[in-house]
Amino acid sequence: MQTVKMVISGAVNAGKTEFIRTISEIEVVSTERRATDDTRLIKKETTVAMDFGRIAISDDLVLHLFGTPGQKRFDFMWEILAEGMLGLVILVDSTRPETFRETNRIIDFFVSYRDTPYVIAANKQDRPNAWSPDELRLALRQPPHIKVLPCTATDRESVKNVLLELLYVIQERSED
Amino acid sequence: MALVGNIRDFSLSDFLSLVDRGYKTGALHLTYHDQTARLYFEKGKLLLAARRPEDEKPELLVRLGVLNVDQLAQACRVLAARGNGVTLSQVVIDVGMASPERLQSALMGHTEQSVYGLFAWPEGDFVFEHNQRPAPDAPLALTPISIDHLIMEGVRRIDEWERIRDRIPSTDLVPRFLAPPGEKLKGMRLSPDEWKVFARINGRDTLAEIAQKTGLSDFDVCRAVYGFLTAGMLELVKRQRVLAAGMPPVEQPRLKKSLVNRIINRIRSM
Repeated sequence: MQTVKMVISGAVNAGKTEFIRTISEIEVVSTERRATDDTRLIKKETTVAMDFGRIAISDDLVLHLFGTPGQKRFDFMWEILAEGMLGLVILVDSTRPETFRETNRIIDFFVSYRDTPYVIAANKQDRPNAWSPDELRLALRQPPHIKVLPCTATDRESVKNVLLELLYVIQERSED
Repeated sequence: MALVGNIRDFSLSDFLSLVDRGYKTGALHLTYHDQTARLYFEKGKLLLAARRPEDEKPELLVRLGVLNVDQLAQACRVLAARGNGVTLSQVVIDVGMASPERLQSALMGHTEQSVYGLFAWPEGDFVFEHNQRPAPDAPLALTPISIDHLIMEGVRRIDEWERIRDRIPSTDLVPRFLAPPGEKLKGMRLSPDEWKVFARINGRDTLAEIAQKTGLSDFDVCRAVYGFLTAGMLELVKRQRVLAAGMPPVEQPRLKKSLVNRIINRIRSM
């Protein structure tokens, strides 16, 4: 059985757990705990370890989805999760510009030393005052070749679209 | 849809940079306690900055000494007669009440001073309304004002490491020009210290080395580089990447296209 891995990252409350939950075939394994720091202001419970989801591709191939912990004190987990990943989805809460700097820090961590295929998902596009993908590209200072995609993490088609767009990036880099 | 936020979280210089790079047209409304401000942009350049409602009125030209009251009344009559997208500033020039240089200089000075004051706000809600335009009789700059040097001035007023550290996490990083800086420098006014830093950027020296060679503090070097970064002139790269010129960064294992295609087909079918 071959296993491949994708990582879903983003700032606190970007929608990582929801994203994985929407597409995973198994009940998402999350370690949710009552938040003890300033994340409490944002949500009552937040991911302090990681989320894990799974999609069976065929009898001999499985795709694992890992959501990274959102809080800074769990940064050490990122290195472990990044090892051998197929690609990366960076989720952004499009309604909260105060998280854009943190998002840039995450992007920098994952892509500065690795040639990691990644896309940015502009989540919560269904909410009022969501910044559009074009505006997020400018705010996050992403070059034109990086895909910044509209996303609603609770909508299965939207999540599928983000994963497919990432897979197309990976496909371009893969060997015949 | 409007862009909404707070300059505590997404700074004014960052927002101006976004407007500049995105060639945005619209109005930025700022509120901090009982103070308000409104900035109008046309394709990423500044047309007008108003710290109070009167700054958007034709009478500003009298306050700035460009016109007297009678001239203003006449200009407003001509404007009303012409209509059709003509601005008050254009009428003032067309009827010879002021030279373009005099008008532009007065409005530009007023606009710049209005914006500089905003950088002192530690926080403030902002709303950017796309495509909202000023009234035809508003005293607009004849030539929209490039905001690169406004960004630099904003950065000069930053005195906290924290904000700079967000974009410059280490002085071991190497600043490198994204393109020859000639065009970007036009209209930008650099301080002597900024010039010192600017002249030392060679794509090889780290920020710490630039600080050593210029005799400036790490903070001063980082603040100058932060300004260049915000104005879109530079990128920061890690030294390893520079030393290993020609070598790609750590590569992910290459996958077989057939395997990727299988995953794509599966996701599509879900």
